[in-house]
Amino acid sequence: MSSKSLTLSGVSKRFGNVTALDNFNLEVGVGELVALLGPSGCGKTTALRVVAGLEHQDKGTVLVAEKNISDVPAHKRNMGMVFQAYSLFPNLTVEENVAFGLQMRKVNKLVRLKKAHQLLDLVGLDSQSKRFTHQLSGGQQQRVALARALAFEPEILLLDEPLSALDAQVRVNLREEIRRLQLSLGTTTLFVTHDQEEAMSISDRVGVMNEGVLEQMDTPEALYNKPASAFVAGFVGTMNRIPAQIADGMVEIFGSKVVALKRGNESGQVVALIRPESISVIANSSQPNAKVLTRSFMGASSNIICQTGDGTIVQSLMTSASTGDLHPGSSVQLHVLSSEVLVANV
Amino acid sequence: MAKLIKSNFQLPLVITLLILGLFVFVPMISAFEYSIRTPAKGGYGWDSYLWAIREEEFVYYIIRSTWLAGVTVLITLFILVPTLTWIHLSNSKARGLIDGLSLLPLVIPVVAFAVGAQISFPEFVKNTVLELPFLYFVLALPYAYRALDIGLSAIPLKTITEAARSAGANWLRTITSVIIPVIRGSVMATIALTFALSLGEFTLTVLLHWDTFPTWVTYVAQENILGAIAISMMSLILPFLLLTIITLFVPERSTQGRK
Repeated sequence: MSSKSLTLSGVSKRFGNVTALDNFNLEVGVGELVALLGPSGCGKTTALRVVAGLEHQDKGTVLVAEKNISDVPAHKRNMGMVFQAYSLFPNLTVEENVAFGLQMRKVNKLVRLKKAHQLLDLVGLDSQSKRFTHQLSGGQQQRVALARALAFEPEILLLDEPLSALDAQVRVNLREEIRRLQLSLGTTTLFVTHDQEEAMSISDRVGVMNEGVLEQMDTPEALYNKPASAFVAGFVGTMNRIPAQIADGMVEIFGSKVVALKRGNESGQVVALIRPESISVIANSSQPNAKVLTRSFMGASSNIICQTGDGTIVQSLMTSASTGDLHPGSSVQLHVLSSEVLVANV
Repeated sequence: MAKLIKSNFQLPLVITLLILGLFVFVPMISAFEYSIRTPAKGGYGWDSYLWAIREEEFVYYIIRSTWLAGVTVLITLFILVPTLTWIHLSNSKARGLIDGLSLLPLVIPVVAFAVGAQISFPEFVKNTVLELPFLYFVLALPYAYRALDIGLSAIPLKTITEAARSAGANWLRTITSVIIPVIRGSVMATIALTFALSLGEFTLTVLLHWDTFPTWVTYVAQENILGAIAISMMSLILPFLLLTIITLFVPERSTQGRK
């Protein structure tokens, strides 16, 4: 396998007055799948396009296996890329599409068709190899695009929101397939998405981007449990924002004191950031501090929305079995389950 | 069966075809009928056609006009495909301006154009018949530009270009192996329009004192009108055959990715 590591250092890119990347740094290890996650306009796609050579950075360097490729044109970079949609060549059959990269590398026809069939077999589409791309469904087209990107054994695989145009069920299946293939081929992969579930579910590490900079780069678990900033905390997963007062490194939430985890110079009036699953709702309590607004049954778990006396809306995620006594309008007691909470300035 | 016929019978289409037929085929059939008259003997015969075939210059001018038209097609594709691809990809604000400029040959009188060329072109250009294909290219520009523009607008050009480049195709390969095959229909239309226009161009050619098939036919008509019509009727077959061959030769692939 020809997989290599990828390093971006100090990359900046502006489009007119808009700064897409601001001194951006990123390292992806050999065989690793790293996702770049962020809201639209955060610069994640620009970062990917700079790696692909489809945009040229204003400053900074792109290294593949320590080799500077900053000025290498896109067609010489040996990177497989899967686009959002409609990137297949409509004049070619499925197998010709997959063999295209090898054809450009002047690989003999028999060899490249054999390789194309291997890849199509891997994505479960070998039976469709003679069809034209417009005869395939959206999910099948993206599978072909994936096979095409992998057929010439790229050093890096680049995925530019490859699932965003697909139906929900197809998205889930295909993202797992991408991960399975990536693991079995060991291809270093950079995956750009705005869908946190997608990023968290298949990546080794996730980089959360905001306004052209990397806010945090960590494993999905660490991002969720130890967000480095209020932005990451708010962007990854659902987060309650509960007003509180810091005193002696502690905040008082729903009447009990917990340790405040600071990420900056937070003091005085702050908001505590608490995950829904870290809040329990107790029915029939002698000291009620909130009212239930709605309860949404979601199978194994239920989502309870409450309102405290001061009007704050609080969301709790509990096992459905323990929410039998919770009805809209009933008085309840909210309780923080964790011993420390992240705080942020208001 | 009656239901099937009814569902396939489209009155507006039939009326359009009838009107078109009236204006295209009636004059052609009349010309043909006229060309097979034999005034000396009365009745009909192939005299004019036999006379035309015996004219040595017939083949000479047919070949000359054909290769000039061929060169015009090559110049047109060579200049327009990369230029239009660039215009579409760059999303340039100049696109509207270029669109407008491409229409200019329609409003500039050919006489002005020819006189301008005669005055401004250096001798070595004026001395070769190859000046004609470049001027024909300008005359065909409004049509060729639009035919290619429509094709490029109908495809996800940016994405497939980037897909080709990231898969290892340089710009030349991207244009020849991906873009041209994908907009094949538009390219064929461009070839047909440019070829037909070049083959039939008369005014500019005469004003620049060149002889091609159309100018020769006009010259013949002054002496033998029936022979000139016979030559014209036969010359119709040539572009028809050529275009048919081109269409058959380029294998039919999928539709242009339209869904």
